Amino acid sequence: MLELKDLYFTVTDHESVKQRNIIDGVNFTFKKGLFYAITGPNGSGKTTLAKLIMGINEVSQGQIIFEGNDISKLTITERAKRGIAYSFQQPARFKGITFRDLLTIATGEEDEKKLLNIVSRVGICPLSFLDKEVDAKLSGGEIKKIELATTIAANPRLAIYDEPDTGIDLWTINPMVKLLKKELIEHLTTTIVVSHNRAFLEAADVIIIIDKGRFVYEGDLPKALHLLTDLSACTYRRPPEGEENAQCFR
Amino acid sequence: MLNASDKTLLKTVADLEGLPKGAYNIRKNGKLLSRQVTANINIESNADGSGIVVTIKPGTKNESVHIPVILSEAGLFDVVYNSFIIGEDADVTIIAGCGIHCGSKEQEGHAGIHEFRVGKKAKVTYVEKHYATGRGTGRRILNPTTKVFLEQGAKAEMELTQISGVDEANRLNEAELGPESLLLITERVLTDGEQKAVSTNNIVLQGEDCRANMISRSVMKGNSRQIFYATLTARNKCFGHIECDAIIMDNGSNETMPSLKAEHPDAELTHEASIGKIANDQLMKLMSLGLTYDQSVNRIIQGFLK
Repeated sequence: MLELKDLYFTVTDHESVKQRNIIDGVNFTFKKGLFYAITGPNGSGKTTLAKLIMGINEVSQGQIIFEGNDISKLTITERAKRGIAYSFQQPARFKGITFRDLLTIATGEEDEKKLLNIVSRVGICPLSFLDKEVDAKLSGGEIKKIELATTIAANPRLAIYDEPDTGIDLWTINPMVKLLKKELIEHLTTTIVVSHNRAFLEAADVIIIIDKGRFVYEGDLPKALHLLTDLSACTYRRPPEGEENAQCFR
Repeated sequence: MLNASDKTLLKTVADLEGLPKGAYNIRKNGKLLSRQVTANINIESNADGSGIVVTIKPGTKNESVHIPVILSEAGLFDVVYNSFIIGEDADVTIIAGCGIHCGSKEQEGHAGIHEFRVGKKAKVTYVEKHYATGRGTGRRILNPTTKVFLEQGAKAEMELTQISGVDEANRLNEAELGPESLLLITERVLTDGEQKAVSTNNIVLQGEDCRANMISRSVMKGNSRQIFYATLTARNKCFGHIECDAIIMDNGSNETMPSLKAEHPDAELTHEASIGKIANDQLMKLMSLGLTYDQSVNRIIQGFLK
């Protein structure tokens, strides 16, 4: 359903004026209706990759194929209209825009009953949230719940969540995981979660470990565990330059 | 009588489809067009005929007064002095507004000087909208002044809005707060083209435990320019806050000068000010929900000025 072909995201380092690949030649196919967890050390390129898929970052080289069509050059809006939704790690805070407004934008729905139905279906936000302004007064946890709810409300075919558990209390994480699983089962939503949280990794069908812009592991959780507990070994064993074919597995 | 153009102006500035319920005073081209008083709200012309005095009996609850002004006469500059005396423990809403329809090359303008005396524990909500339209090239000028005096425990909520089409605006808001009184001012100004708007606010926190919160939201489109001055002077144990945000679009420019003066050791004064373009993360979020770039900009501005 989503194919990344020789994908690169390159930036120019301001100090050295050298080019650096933040995403460094990724090839991968995401299958419909599966739950993917992307993890890896800080600065490894997880968020950058998620933003490339949504169109927030522009692809430097390579292609993104979504349901058979090349979307690499499409705008964020066009990708949203094709069924991709994105939950930001640090959601935007507005002035004068409420949770209700965001839900209406996401769903095109203005009817009070239907909006309340959406909020109940998502479950994670109390009904009283509906007229809350999505502004600087919300706590970190509250705004993340609203962010998640607007993503789910959009009924996406591909949902991307960037660290959805940031600021979320311990009691909400498991219901959140269950919610994403439920949406996946009921609507076959292909789900990509960028996370370090074990609850999300355990829920995932496929774990992807990314390091220095490359996928260094794709598979189930048990086999990934030794890498997750000691990822430094992976970085330590990074092949010298020139040995592109060498793998980084222990 | 009201013609079609008057009705449009009234709808825009006062949200009126026809004549309002309750007390009202409609002024057109410098003259009284229509007036109605109620048992609790009296409106009469002042001694020199330069405006009106609105007197609200103590204890009046849930009543409203509409006092719109419409201008459609070329070359007219209408100056009006209105006083509002709000009796103790009353709770009323006053809806003012000025609509200009300019159909010629000559400039048209209005200066409304509104003075409020809010009695003990009384509450007034004041809503004022300014709007100008018409195909004429004459400049449309609005110079409103509001002066507010709050007695002990009084409360005033003021919503001051300049919607569009005003070429030049020079606003002055002054307030003096008695003990335990509360003043909330929200000012929203949208300018475009070559328009210019200046807002000067002087709020004196005189009484013990009084509170003031001044919120200003400015949007500058085109080459328009806005200047915002706000000074809180604290003369007692009190709390005051100024929040001024400006969004620059196109080539607009803005100057924002919040100023805090504490003349008492227990004064607590704060301010926050920001000027900038629309935040990128806000645009990204709305686009990721399916809005285009332009739709996202409009939605953000609409919310900001709501």
